[in-house]
Amino acid sequence: MSRAVAVVGVGQTHHNSKLPDVNVPEMVRIAVDRALLDAGLSHEDIDAIVLGKAPDPLEGIMQPEQYLAGALGAHMKPIIRVHTAGSVGCTTALTAATHVASGLYGRVLTVAFEKQSEGNAMWALSPNYAFTPPMVAGAGGFFAPYCRAYIMRSGAPSHIGAVVAANARENAARNEYAHLRDPMSVEDVLASPMLWDPIRFLETCPSSDGAIAIVMANEELAKKGPRKPAWLKAGATFTEPMYVPGRDQVSPLAGRTCAKFVYEKAGIKDPWNEIQVAEFYVPFSWYEPMWLENLGFAPLNEGWKAVDRGDQKFGRHLPVNPSGGVLNTNPIGASGMLRFGEAALQVMGRAGEHQVPGVKTALGHAYGGGAQYFSIAILGTEL
Amino acid sequence: MSKLRNVAIVGFAQAPIVAENPHRTAPEMLYPVVRQALANANVERKDIDYQCAGSSDYVDGRAFSFSQVMEVMGAWPPVQDSHVEMDAAWAAHLVWVKMQAEECDAAIVAGFGKVSEGSPMHVLNLQLDPFYHASLGLDHVSTSALQASAYMAKSGVDDAGLAQVAARNRAAGAKNPDTQLRQAVSAAELQKTPFVTSPLREGYLPPIGETATCLVLAAEGKAEKMCDRPVWIHGVDHRIEFQTIGARDLTSSASTKLAAKNAFEMAGVKGVNDAQVVELGSTTPAEELILRDALGLPSGLGGTSGGPVVNPSGSPLCANPLMNTGLLRLAEGFRQLSGRAGERGVAGAKRAVVHASGGHCLQQNIVWVLGTERRWT
Repeated sequence: MSRAVAVVGVGQTHHNSKLPDVNVPEMVRIAVDRALLDAGLSHEDIDAIVLGKAPDPLEGIMQPEQYLAGALGAHMKPIIRVHTAGSVGCTTALTAATHVASGLYGRVLTVAFEKQSEGNAMWALSPNYAFTPPMVAGAGGFFAPYCRAYIMRSGAPSHIGAVVAANARENAARNEYAHLRDPMSVEDVLASPMLWDPIRFLETCPSSDGAIAIVMANEELAKKGPRKPAWLKAGATFTEPMYVPGRDQVSPLAGRTCAKFVYEKAGIKDPWNEIQVAEFYVPFSWYEPMWLENLGFAPLNEGWKAVDRGDQKFGRHLPVNPSGGVLNTNPIGASGMLRFGEAALQVMGRAGEHQVPGVKTALGHAYGGGAQYFSIAILGTEL
Repeated sequence: MSKLRNVAIVGFAQAPIVAENPHRTAPEMLYPVVRQALANANVERKDIDYQCAGSSDYVDGRAFSFSQVMEVMGAWPPVQDSHVEMDAAWAAHLVWVKMQAEECDAAIVAGFGKVSEGSPMHVLNLQLDPFYHASLGLDHVSTSALQASAYMAKSGVDDAGLAQVAARNRAAGAKNPDTQLRQAVSAAELQKTPFVTSPLREGYLPPIGETATCLVLAAEGKAEKMCDRPVWIHGVDHRIEFQTIGARDLTSSASTKLAAKNAFEMAGVKGVNDAQVVELGSTTPAEELILRDALGLPSGLGGTSGGPVVNPSGSPLCANPLMNTGLLRLAEGFRQLSGRAGERGVAGAKRAVVHASGGHCLQQNIVWVLGTERRWT
């Protein structure tokens, strides 16, 4: 990046399985108003808007940036709409950062949302691929074999997934915006029905309604803000095709490449010891140890050991998903931006009850497609 | 305007635009196009450091449609990549922004849309407000017809005027081997075609078509090696308006006007008359007249009166392959300024103004200024 980029405001809705009192524009507007309020800004201060969300069929509105132009305060402004599958939230935030880094736009508003209650995610997430029999199994059915392959090759014991899920719920209980916050033990998880072996009901993300908005600014404008910003140290998106002979679906090369790229940019040599908090995109419990390995926090096949030791719990060595993560809040298109936003809040020291003490560097991550789309951001307290 | 990075269009390729290509999936249509675009720019995929596509899940009739084209865009080993759920003209804009941020130097932009596998009338209805507009059954023809009626009432342009605009585009299209409708038809003949939705006749509307497109962009230093006559981006801006059809003046395009003003300022030109070629993303004769007003061009009715050549490609009235239509306008600018426009080439053209649109009734508009020389030294 040629110019420094800072997060100066974050706002989100409360997330729930159904937000029945608001329609899509109203829901999105709540997040936008909260982000602007947080940044001490108004719509006139915004030069461009970058909107992200997952497939349009989830709500039945095609290219909703057109319908939402008014609600987003975009009238007579530039707006673009990003869609890169599950990674889209984080990629959208990074696209906004690129707009600021270009020097063309001083302050950019970026927004991501999903209102899953208005559609049927199982249907929308069961696309037909050419020359492949339809699975009609949704995302869980798609990713279960990858988790199974991880267990087989790492030798992870079967309780690891349940440990991740119970810990994520414990974290979500501290996050007032999270969708699922009721207490849940490892035993509860293990006793819940098996949906797609090895993924149990309580190891699965919910379908959520919700939105998040973030304001980014260049260095000069960020320093004028009411409080300390979070600086974007590095960010990148990498993608790989679905069909490559020998592709490693468990630890995809695109994820490893993306991590290496951002660590180099941010000057990070040892992520396990140089990053104080990480927000991974974990829609199914087993993805937590998988991403610990893929992103270089743990050696290959040993991510589950960090989970088994509890190193990734709140208050321990590297808290992972102190927000409660995707396992407890999943407005799909917004889920990646929630990771980015939580990383920013942690760096700004404004994560409330789920604040990890002494955060200097935080990582936000999202993935999507058939584990093909990767997006990673590193945020820091210093420029 | 501060100094920006010089970025050029250095290659383009497209599939034939046809009503239906029943033998190819979208990725199959796109693959040879990407290869051809790279060959046209004298590079291999490894020389490209960013890619961005523009497509729509609804047009293709499946979620995550863009993920199908990773193989054919050459995303292995993994590449830096993005996708906009918009016409690929906006993917090109994102790449240009990315180059201004010095995050990439050479990129491919892909557009695709398997229009024939769905029903555009039903699909484009879903762009509208689900409570107050979509539920009325409005589609892009009916909203365009409302706009055309409003424009005719205000301007006094009549049915014969619309026919004249359409006929001029059809005559231009007859000289464009890459468009879909390639027969010149007289205004009188077009005026005899039946109304689809009054006042828009069959002859005033684009055909349904599909294609795949790929544009190659590169920053100064690389661009010169990739093309004998790179076409430089001198200025660009895009703007959106409220969607609500009753809340805006359909007879003018305020967002085009503002985008053009900003693009002209960036390009250091006084106005549209500093260009020799103008290519508009107008899908009806009324849209062309509204855009001409917004850009400061004469209506062109009753004979040409000098000034730039407008729509040498035949405009979207001769081919409107969804998600590609805007990128094709940019491609026409490239072809015109790089000596690749064949018989329809505007002699001595040094500067082009290119426009593309998104949404109903010109809701969102982008304006580019292109030139044969570098903008910033």
